Amino acid sequence: MIVATPAGAKPLTLRGLAKHYATADGRVIEALMPIDLDIAPGEFLVVVGPSGCGKSTMLNVLAGLLPPSAGEARVGDEPVRGPDIDRGMVFQDYALFPWLDVIGNVEFGLERKGLGRRERREVAVHYLKMVGLAEFANKRPRELSGGMKQRVAIARTFATEPSIIFMDEPFGALDALTRRHLQHELLRIWQQHRKTVVFITHSVVEAIYLADRVVLMTARPGRIKTVLNIDLPHPRDPTSDEFRDIERRIYSDLDEELTKSFRMEVRDIAG
Amino acid sequence: MTDATEPAGQIPRGPGLQLRNRLSKLLRYFYAVAGVVAVWWAVVLIAKPHMSLLPSPWLTAQTFIQLMASGELPKDAAYSVCRVLAAWSLAALVAVPLGFAMGRWDKLASVLDPVVELFRPISPLAWIPLAILWFGIDEGGKVFVIFIGAFFPILLNTIAGARNIDPVLISAGRILGCKGDASLFRKVVLPASLPQVIVGLRISFGTGWAAIIAAELVAARSGLGYLISNGMEVLRSDFVLVGMVTIGILGVLFDAVFRWVDRRYNWMSE
Repeated sequence: MIVATPAGAKPLTLRGLAKHYATADGRVIEALMPIDLDIAPGEFLVVVGPSGCGKSTMLNVLAGLLPPSAGEARVGDEPVRGPDIDRGMVFQDYALFPWLDVIGNVEFGLERKGLGRRERREVAVHYLKMVGLAEFANKRPRELSGGMKQRVAIARTFATEPSIIFMDEPFGALDALTRRHLQHELLRIWQQHRKTVVFITHSVVEAIYLADRVVLMTARPGRIKTVLNIDLPHPRDPTSDEFRDIERRIYSDLDEELTKSFRMEVRDIAG
Repeated sequence: MTDATEPAGQIPRGPGLQLRNRLSKLLRYFYAVAGVVAVWWAVVLIAKPHMSLLPSPWLTAQTFIQLMASGELPKDAAYSVCRVLAAWSLAALVAVPLGFAMGRWDKLASVLDPVVELFRPISPLAWIPLAILWFGIDEGGKVFVIFIGAFFPILLNTIAGARNIDPVLISAGRILGCKGDASLFRKVVLPASLPQVIVGLRISFGTGWAAIIAAELVAARSGLGYLISNGMEVLRSDFVLVGMVTIGILGVLFDAVFRWVDRRYNWMSE
């Protein structure tokens, strides 16, 4: 699993972390039941679950974009209180700033960190090279394909050298081939930098391909159903028997939850 | 906001092509003017109206040159332009900050929205009588009327721009180190809503320009509106037409300036 404690990565600890919302008509919706989880520094943790299970909510709480209703998350020794540039995030729909060019997007966080003009240009170019987009530095985001946009977003996140990175279904909007390529790229970058990563996805294959550990969440209200170590060496072959075995196990757990969440949806719509 | 007349698809764009586009655009303006003048002239030739009702294009052009040379037309135009610029700037100074506040702060919006909705349908022209009662026919009255006319387009567009920012961009800004509202405003909210703010400024200049003429028609001793209304009183329809033509020309010029600003600063155009 984890070879050594990498420099610059921090552990993430969840203690009784829960989130509920009050709706307009006064009902309380449990989005996330109290969760305890320890994520090691440099670990690649993937969370899988049916849609609406609260995994995005969990990520937003961990990133400090939403306050928890109970419990807390700690990065290293520090409890999460609001967003911080030390905790990066890659969003599903890229979230690139359309008024900035590609390099301007990568420099955004560096400027906030107080780097000087020349220094941040150097760092930004370095990270654009890392994702193979150095020659696109002066393009606008809308001139890029979805896969390229997400590579810019990945460069932007890694450039600020956060100690932990959250990824919210980052490849969910991409076609299958681009997705495969970016999974591969992400692993390569992660193996170089060894940040702690919490990655959310719908795709079981993606989870097994990337993760040190897969966390399976239940249908709403979200809680941890299964935690599974994936000990296969990289690069992993999704057609191998070991891979298929793990996939089967996860699906058998997941099918139960999918049935539940489908029933819940029917009930919600029927009122 | 790409120009609809530009060819679609993967046609390579060089400076030569851009120049050709500009030229063809100018040419279309030229055709429009030629068409209007031709119809005007035909009407004069066929119906033979009295000169005080409809002078020929030629006579109007002569009057135009005459009024230019005497300095009367530049002076009136300058009066009108200055009034609009002053009132429009004042409106922007109030409406842009207020629009951002209302767009980003729901509590303020819920209090002020009904007020805005009540006043918005009232044409700036309906304020002219009150403006005269309150300010007489001084500059204050005219500036007040334009202010009303320019205020709402700026306010409503700024609100829309500030309100419709993709929330994920706000999240991204916070994640990437925008601590506090001030830096989030400067680095995300302001640039994200700028295109819509520019739209508001452009539209409001148009409504302001239309309203100043109306304000000057009834209450002024100077300006293009005064030139027109005075022309009517002394039965000089050539004065009226010269005033109208000047309004049209200046309107097109100002819009060209705004289009340039838009191309320069609007990340949604290009």
